[in-house]
Amino acid sequence: MRRILLLRGAELIVFAALAAIPLLVVNPYALGLLTLLAIYGILLIGLDVTVGYLGQVNLAHVAFLGLGAYTAGLAVTKLGLGMGPALAAAMAVGLLLGGLLALPALRLEGPQFALATLSFAALSTTALNELESLTGGAQGLSLSRPPVFGHALTPPLFFWLCLALMALVWMLMRNMLSSQWGRAFEALRDSPIATDAMGVGAYRHRVAAFSLGSGLGGLAGGLYAFNFQYLQPQSFNYDLMIILLLGVVLGGRKSLWGAFVGASVIVLLPNLLSNRLLFQIFSASGFALALAAGLRGLVKKITRPFQALAPVAAMGLLVVGGLLVENTEDWRKAIFALMLFSVVVGLPEGLMGFLSLFLAKLFRVPQAPLPKPSDIETILPTHEADGAPLLVLEDLRRHFGGVKAVDGLSMTVRSGTIHGLIGPNGSGKSTVVNVISGLYTPSSGRVLLRGGALPTGSLFRVSRSGVARTFQNLQLFGELTALENVMVALKGVYRSPLPMVLLGLARQEERRAQADALCLLDRIGLRDQALTRAKDLTYGAQRFLEVARALARKPDLLILDEPAAGLAHPDVVQLIEIIKRIHKRGISIILIEHHMDVVSELCHTVTVLDGGKVIAEGSPDEVKRDPRVMEAYLGQPPEPGPSGTSDPSGAPVPEPA
Amino acid sequence: MNPSIIGQMAVSGALMGLVYALIAYGFQLTYATSKSINFGQGELVMVSAFFSLTLMNLGLPYWAMIPGGLLFGALMGLAVERAGVRLALEQKSEGWILLTIILGLFFFSAAENLWGRDDRPFPTPISADPIHVLGVDVTRLELSVAVGVLAIMGAIELFKRRTLLGKAFEAVSADRDAAELMGISATRTVMLSYALSGAVAALAGILVSPITTVGPTMASALILKAFSVAVVAGLDSGFGVVLIGMFLGALESLASFYLGSGWREAPGLLLLILALAVRPTGVFGKAAIRKV
Repeated sequence: MRRILLLRGAELIVFAALAAIPLLVVNPYALGLLTLLAIYGILLIGLDVTVGYLGQVNLAHVAFLGLGAYTAGLAVTKLGLGMGPALAAAMAVGLLLGGLLALPALRLEGPQFALATLSFAALSTTALNELESLTGGAQGLSLSRPPVFGHALTPPLFFWLCLALMALVWMLMRNMLSSQWGRAFEALRDSPIATDAMGVGAYRHRVAAFSLGSGLGGLAGGLYAFNFQYLQPQSFNYDLMIILLLGVVLGGRKSLWGAFVGASVIVLLPNLLSNRLLFQIFSASGFALALAAGLRGLVKKITRPFQALAPVAAMGLLVVGGLLVENTEDWRKAIFALMLFSVVVGLPEGLMGFLSLFLAKLFRVPQAPLPKPSDIETILPTHEADGAPLLVLEDLRRHFGGVKAVDGLSMTVRSGTIHGLIGPNGSGKSTVVNVISGLYTPSSGRVLLRGGALPTGSLFRVSRSGVARTFQNLQLFGELTALENVMVALKGVYRSPLPMVLLGLARQEERRAQADALCLLDRIGLRDQALTRAKDLTYGAQRFLEVARALARKPDLLILDEPAAGLAHPDVVQLIEIIKRIHKRGISIILIEHHMDVVSELCHTVTVLDGGKVIAEGSPDEVKRDPRVMEAYLGQPPEPGPSGTSDPSGAPVPEPA
Repeated sequence: MNPSIIGQMAVSGALMGLVYALIAYGFQLTYATSKSINFGQGELVMVSAFFSLTLMNLGLPYWAMIPGGLLFGALMGLAVERAGVRLALEQKSEGWILLTIILGLFFFSAAENLWGRDDRPFPTPISADPIHVLGVDVTRLELSVAVGVLAIMGAIELFKRRTLLGKAFEAVSADRDAAELMGISATRTVMLSYALSGAVAALAGILVSPITTVGPTMASALILKAFSVAVVAGLDSGFGVVLIGMFLGALESLASFYLGSGWREAPGLLLLILALAVRPTGVFGKAAIRKV
């Protein structure tokens, strides 16, 4: 309660104070700055969705600002629309074009994504410049604010409109970003593969995030047009894009307050640069901050020397430069560059990331309390297994060029069993798992689940069919907490459509999801660390968390890909316990494992692979004595013992193929 | 629709396209060793061109200036690696994208203030008189661009294949971890690739400046097209960038002729978005297998 009061109270106070300023001070210049602050606030909240939550360098946001501005401008001048419809059109253009741009950008990571957005921005500037008959080209486009309900919008009224829209955007985005949507965006940033494998659809969420961010860019563009009432294509250039990035990074990613602080900095920058004394004070305090943060980092040994020293050097350059240079305006780009550099290197969490820790301590803001864990029976009801064939692989093949990683594999996993899949390194175990789970498309062959074809080549669709998996090389969502990792994957809890989520009417589901996830964490002994970030957990805990996350899919079949790899002995013992308990709930398991003792203790049936083919199948004891298995592991046929102990059945040892 | 005009436009466009190819080749060099590229490469081209011009203004003859310019480019490449790339690579983050953009911005601002905002001519001893070859006019200057581009790319490819250091380069490109285990320092190899990439950028600046003049914004159009070439061709085929570079150069020359010069950037950008949508690894790129 205290937490809600403090957080909402702070928001209310800031917005009320901003709204009250025009009543107290009559200063057209200050009012202009405040209006810009609200517009840039909306713009940066949008940019933060892609840069902060999706973690992609988005260089197209300035294009959406421009396109939104021109849409609103043209809607008013050419179509004679009112302000409301014009703003809606500006936002719609952003949503639509953002979604369209995200479609090809779907498969792109990091640099390619940045390049695609950069090209889009250049292309839209070209179009605005060259479509002269429509946009007026380099001549610019003049427009006037249409009256609303018969009233002309005076500057204070327009400011209140912008502020109200920003408050609305703030509220809706807060609801969305703290829901499963925001978590999915962050999950995408940390591991797109695991996002798909947890049934969360990397594709649709990436498109949604980009479209949403761009839509806010378009809306801000519409307000921009009505604010300046004159548009030129070259206003929306690369320089402005850099400044916007500066705002988000400096303010702090993944934070509405960060966007607000960033917007304030952007709005105040020109004043800062035009006044020499102000600039010197500013650069000196920046230098002091960098020095303090750097020293603290070095003494506590939490940063590398470069990380501590480079910002100090950059800020030092800013101070010296400020003394040497006559006109700081000329050097504005270099100044932006030095500031951005220092923040990116030395303060990756941004000003708000840094301040929020401090403020939370100062006002003793408590953590949000967690609900009671749900009952396991409501999440994973025990059901009786019938022993019928659950997963059937028929003559499965997967070739990579000339390498036959899986070469004609057939096997049957019966429901209610723990089915071991073993084999020497390079025998094709991981490829089999990757084919079943949909990461690879099989070259030929069939995969059947309960007699029906399992979708192939899509992690997302396989996951939705009731098959969940863990990853040998951990694919956790590192920046999310243990609890959130499980909540991302949770199946069957989130039913509210997006509008309900936006309006904050889905909180009940959120509590339910927390309770369910907490229960699953309890099963693997991580309840106490529910709020620890996944990347800060111990290695063993991370392995268990992979299992809990896969369980949140409530699967019929759970594939564990080397869950004991690298675990210390006590952890292995605990892992065996966990797997036994999962099995007792009636979930069938495929276990890929190198530890023979784990396999022997858990598995009912074991399939042994070598060279992409099945070389043996049976109970753990049977396969252990199989001479072909020994040969595959040890490299040569076993010496026949003096008393014929090699093969209990007495069958002749087949020639190796 | 005079075929000889089309031929003329295509040939001079293609020769210009070789400059895009050279800058794109610079991206490939660093991408091979570190999976990172310098988003401020255009500023490197521009700053190196200014520096080379200054060397000549100080009285150095054209041919003696070239090694100086290349060395400067290599040093700038090293600076970018140290300040913008290394930390991000150590943290396995993509922070280098933003950091190299930032460094580029800094270089741009510095050049703008140190050398001025105006475009300046770049003197060259190579004649700009047209010569008639196979029905089209080309100048010696344009031919010198082609020769210079192909010469340095050939030299670097030879270096990678024939020398021990070059083989270390290839080893780190193929498998960074395995190369480290064989006693090759991946960090030094990445440094080498950034130095080479910087030198290549400097040469691109020296070659193109006599045609375009030198100014702070000289590379902003070049770099967009170099990005397009690198992505369309794929980030691991030197042969591919030459081919795609010439194709794109010819295409935009024709586009500016038929659609108007304002649209000359459009084909490259469209091609890039299309390539990213249809074949993100590039026309000549190898598709990597996703591993988990």
